[in-house]
Amino acid sequence: MTTVELAQSTVAAADSDISFFSLFLQAHIVVKLVMIGLLAASVWCWAIIVDKWFLYLRTKRQMNRFETVFWSGQSLEELYKTLANRANHSMAALFVAAMREWKRSHETAKPAIASLQQRIDRVMDVTIAREQERLESRLLVLATVGSAAPFIGLFGTVWGIMTAFQAIAASKNTNLAVVAPGIAEALFATALGLLAAIPAVIAYNKLSSDATRLSGRMEGFADEFSAILSRQIDERM
Amino acid sequence: MRAGLIASTVGHLAILLWGVIAFPDARPFDVPPVDSLPVDLVPISDLTKLRKGEKTAELREEEAPKPTEKKAEAPQPDAKTGDAKKEQPTPSVPEAKNQPSKAQPTPAPTPPAQKTPEPPAPKEVAEPQPAPQPAPAPVAEKAPTPEPQKVEEAPKVAEATPVKVTPRSKPTPPKRTQTARTEEKKKDFDTTDIAALLNKVDPSGGGTQASSTPASLGSDKGQSNVQMTQSELDALRGQIARCWNPPVGAAGADDLNVRLKVSFTQGGDVDQLPQVMNSSGNPSFGIAAESAKRAVLRCAPYSLPVAKYDAWREVIINFDPRELLGG
Repeated sequence: MTTVELAQSTVAAADSDISFFSLFLQAHIVVKLVMIGLLAASVWCWAIIVDKWFLYLRTKRQMNRFETVFWSGQSLEELYKTLANRANHSMAALFVAAMREWKRSHETAKPAIASLQQRIDRVMDVTIAREQERLESRLLVLATVGSAAPFIGLFGTVWGIMTAFQAIAASKNTNLAVVAPGIAEALFATALGLLAAIPAVIAYNKLSSDATRLSGRMEGFADEFSAILSRQIDERM
Repeated sequence: MRAGLIASTVGHLAILLWGVIAFPDARPFDVPPVDSLPVDLVPISDLTKLRKGEKTAELREEEAPKPTEKKAEAPQPDAKTGDAKKEQPTPSVPEAKNQPSKAQPTPAPTPPAQKTPEPPAPKEVAEPQPAPQPAPAPVAEKAPTPEPQKVEEAPKVAEATPVKVTPRSKPTPPKRTQTARTEEKKKDFDTTDIAALLNKVDPSGGGTQASSTPASLGSDKGQSNVQMTQSELDALRGQIARCWNPPVGAAGADDLNVRLKVSFTQGGDVDQLPQVMNSSGNPSFGIAAESAKRAVLRCAPYSLPVAKYDAWREVIINFDPRELLGG
């Protein structure tokens, strides 16, 4: 067998082994762990993305509906009665918390009106903080994956290339057909890292800006509602 | 959150599956087959071979047509006419024809006068020890006097004789007319005889026309097998370079190129004083030229292939102070 035929046969043998699964199966255990971790990170990131996406859509729709109801001239008492028994989120939760504090201060025998305004503000602040926490939870995971996944993938690649070179040194053959599979398998780790990181970074930027906008909208509503309640309190004093 | 996780997992599985289907394995690159390049190994002598031609002719791609070569003349009778074991072929006819033409310039050919001195010669030829080079002419002249001793000689020689005799008789008549005409001219010039005069011009034999294509660059002696290979030129160059003390400190060594025309004898000696072919404005050019001449003369004789004398009989050598280059 001539050297040319030999090289061709090696290439042919190497060809059949460059599918995704064989790349994974041939890899060193460290590289395997990196790949599995990156795949899991990607799955988790996408789960968060999907979850947040729908959450923000829902929240936005609820806010719109609540604002139309709130500014429709309906009695606030009635609105509170209908909302009080439900599990509320965002603006509705804000409204219910403020109304509850208002009611509690008036329903007692001695109405505590002097610092009612401050109490209502504080209750609404707490509610906004809680709602923000709910909106922005797990977004940090996206940020972390987005920044760390490429490095993790790079680590897998470096490790894989290291072992590949060791194997090449052991086989005492620098033919490209010998070198290529090891390097391809090592680069696969970087590919997975980028695959996880890119959507995570994009989604983090988009979702965090959405969350900021939503919480800003809630703060605006809180200020407006606080102004209305403050006017009521002053009229009753 | 669970919905998101499920959706994400399903999506990843779908992408993996698609990847497995779409990229089952890497397709090998289409490597265009590399055509093998034929390579010939050519000896350097093929490239540096001297062509037959003229030395002054321009260099051309095509080789000039070869002149028609006469076949080697039939074996000369110098190869033992007397005791030849093989039959001697007849001397070729053209030779016989040449003789009369040569004979013509001789004022008055008197056949009997020639014949008389001859008879002794044939006897010598017939003797066991043949003369080294009996020219064909004497043989032809012997013929008219047939001698019984010449039985050993090939009968074809005898056959050739009549052919030769006839041309000899032909030339005589025109000469008589010419002499007669000159006499007539001296006496008085008759215009009516011009036509007759013109008609009497001897018909010329079939000569060949000169070739219209110019001769190619080469050696004028015309042996196409004469070839001076590059290595032989290098050898000559090396021999001269050994004896050459270039003017070392001369200013402006760039234009101190000296071109010498050197002619050699067959033994490798320098035939005449080398001629300087170029000139230069450099004041030390004269010194350089002298040193080059000295170098050529000092190293003689040169060992050069005698068989190729034709190629190095006259050589132009370029003496470059920076590097000796032969020409």
